[in-house]
Amino acid sequence: MQVAIFSTAGMRRGLIAAQPLAFGVFIYGIAFGLLTSEANLSTLEALLMSGMVYSGSAQLVALNSLMGGTVPSGTVLFTVLATILLLNGRYVLYGAAMRPWLGSLPAYQAYPSLAVLGDGNWILSMKAASEGEQDAGFVFASGFGMFLPWLGGTWLGSVALSFVSNPNRLGLDFMLIAFSAAMGISMFKARADFKIVVVAALVSLAVSQFAPGGPAILAAGFAAGVTVWLTYVEEKTA
Amino acid sequence: MTLRPEIFLLIVILGAASLLCRISGFWLMRFVTITPRLKAALNATPLAVMVGIVAPTAASGNPAELAALAAIFLVMRFWPNDLAAAMAGMFVVAVWRWLQLAS
Repeated sequence: MQVAIFSTAGMRRGLIAAQPLAFGVFIYGIAFGLLTSEANLSTLEALLMSGMVYSGSAQLVALNSLMGGTVPSGTVLFTVLATILLLNGRYVLYGAAMRPWLGSLPAYQAYPSLAVLGDGNWILSMKAASEGEQDAGFVFASGFGMFLPWLGGTWLGSVALSFVSNPNRLGLDFMLIAFSAAMGISMFKARADFKIVVVAALVSLAVSQFAPGGPAILAAGFAAGVTVWLTYVEEKTA
Repeated sequence: MTLRPEIFLLIVILGAASLLCRISGFWLMRFVTITPRLKAALNATPLAVMVGIVAPTAASGNPAELAALAAIFLVMRFWPNDLAAAMAGMFVVAVWRWLQLAS
């Protein structure tokens, strides 16, 4: 295994690559911050939640359990916890897929990079890796470059700057989908990738029927990985 | 600036669960030898995740989103640039929705 590098040059590339998606994250942070004030969370509580949970879908579930104005009971808390594990289960897969790249890094570089891992920066990083990026600074900086606007947006929304009541009107809900489509097209290299696309699409559609979002994404990635594992032919010419 | 202990506890528990998800896959792979076969399987996940994100929208049949996906495909075809293609797609969605609201 080659030794990964972690340099400021890589961090700069990651930070720049993250900027378009970071803008969308920022606007969504504002929208989330607005909801936290509706749920009567203080700005400090909202910031702590965005900083520690850092997952839009999971935070919405948590917020929903607080909307009644009372602190959730043990049963509700357990349900919320289970939902969050299900929603964020895809990060287990994301982290596993990063082992070959980040595995040789010292823990103080690898784990902070994982702590700020998100869909957008994972996709950007894996795409960059497929094009020869070896610098793990890219992973950390593209993650941190989206984490900060999430915090900043949460703060602005929480102190009630309601200039964006509906970010969907700007097409921002389409942002991650748009980037996934564009990067998916450029990652599609060989006819061998066709089975990955078919399996992922079918599994994603099937799981979306009862568990859309995180679980469907996890299932698509996992199913394609298993498919490639099962159909792998030794000594294939790349 | 208030911080209620019970809310703090909730945030810490949920935060720990999220962090666990983020680091556990990477940590567990410590104990797994990465064979070429496993590496091929792991390398398949990014494309699969991208497809998994796009597929429900592509199957939804919403004209704005379908037009945007077509725009992304066209841009990638003639000018293979992820950023340009994604921005073109978002532009199509935003304009289409705006026209729908205006009509």
